[in-house]
Amino acid sequence: MELWYGLITGILFGFLLQKGHVLRYDKQIAALRLQDMTIVKFMLSHIVVAMVGVYLLYDMGLVKLSLKPTILGGVIIGGVLFGLGWGLLGYCPGTSLGALGEGRWDSAWGILGMLVGAGLYAEAYPYLQTTVLTWGNYGKITIPQLLGVNHWLVIVPFLLITVLLFRWLEKKGL
Amino acid sequence: MSMKEDQSWSPYLAGALSGLVSIGSIWFIGKYLGASTTFVRTTGMLEKLFSPERVANMPYFLKEVPLIDWQWMFVIGIAIGAFFATVSSGSFRLQAVPTMWQERIWNSHCTKSDGGLYWRYYSDVWCTSGRWLPERSWS
Repeated sequence: MELWYGLITGILFGFLLQKGHVLRYDKQIAALRLQDMTIVKFMLSHIVVAMVGVYLLYDMGLVKLSLKPTILGGVIIGGVLFGLGWGLLGYCPGTSLGALGEGRWDSAWGILGMLVGAGLYAEAYPYLQTTVLTWGNYGKITIPQLLGVNHWLVIVPFLLITVLLFRWLEKKGL
Repeated sequence: MSMKEDQSWSPYLAGALSGLVSIGSIWFIGKYLGASTTFVRTTGMLEKLFSPERVANMPYFLKEVPLIDWQWMFVIGIAIGAFFATVSSGSFRLQAVPTMWQERIWNSHCTKSDGGLYWRYYSDVWCTSGRWLPERSWS
């Protein structure tokens, strides 16, 4: 049953991604070139809505958080590699599938590349476990935890800054 | 230059709605949205076809078991959902080369009539999107 929920959730998400026009190579590269921030607007809108919703549910004891350990070695090196790949390909993992759904099959090459890259990572994993993945391992931390404050004191300012950013983007026509 | 450009929804609205989808998934199914682990699992599943004993012993695949799970279905769902959306607005088209790339990189090289054999091969490879450039010369 869980598998069907996954499929339905994906269909809804993919539908919204397409309607928001964030699946296209042109939009992704335009954002990375800082010319058209559509995908940033989509991403931040999602983040802000989900952040508020999830923490409300969390405060009511209805959901658990899913924290990943913060390992600087992995995150920084992985992030840079990911960025290089994203800039070259013009898609990321989820959007590459969405782009296929739109018929833009240039993303298929990226999907193949990601599969190969994942395979190489799996091969390198035992080595990485003793090196890169030990550099700067801070465990499962959150920003509110680090600052020693209630999470709403982080969420509300973030929300405000995001709204201000949106207004600025619209003003600049980005 | 693009034949039919469908009207897009506001990215704020689409993004916010997708945030609601996320909340729903976390609340009712306990699943956070993600996509990248699916690629690792798929590679593992493919490798299993060739050497299952090896995959069974690799530490990474002991951690991320190569099987079809919620996230795998989610990723497939993205392709399907995008397909429905694109068909409903009539903007589906098979395209091999993204428009921006073609304009910036291909077009800036293609309009010169340099040596024939190179361009003939090059254009065979890259013009699969069906766009024929008027100034190409076949020599």
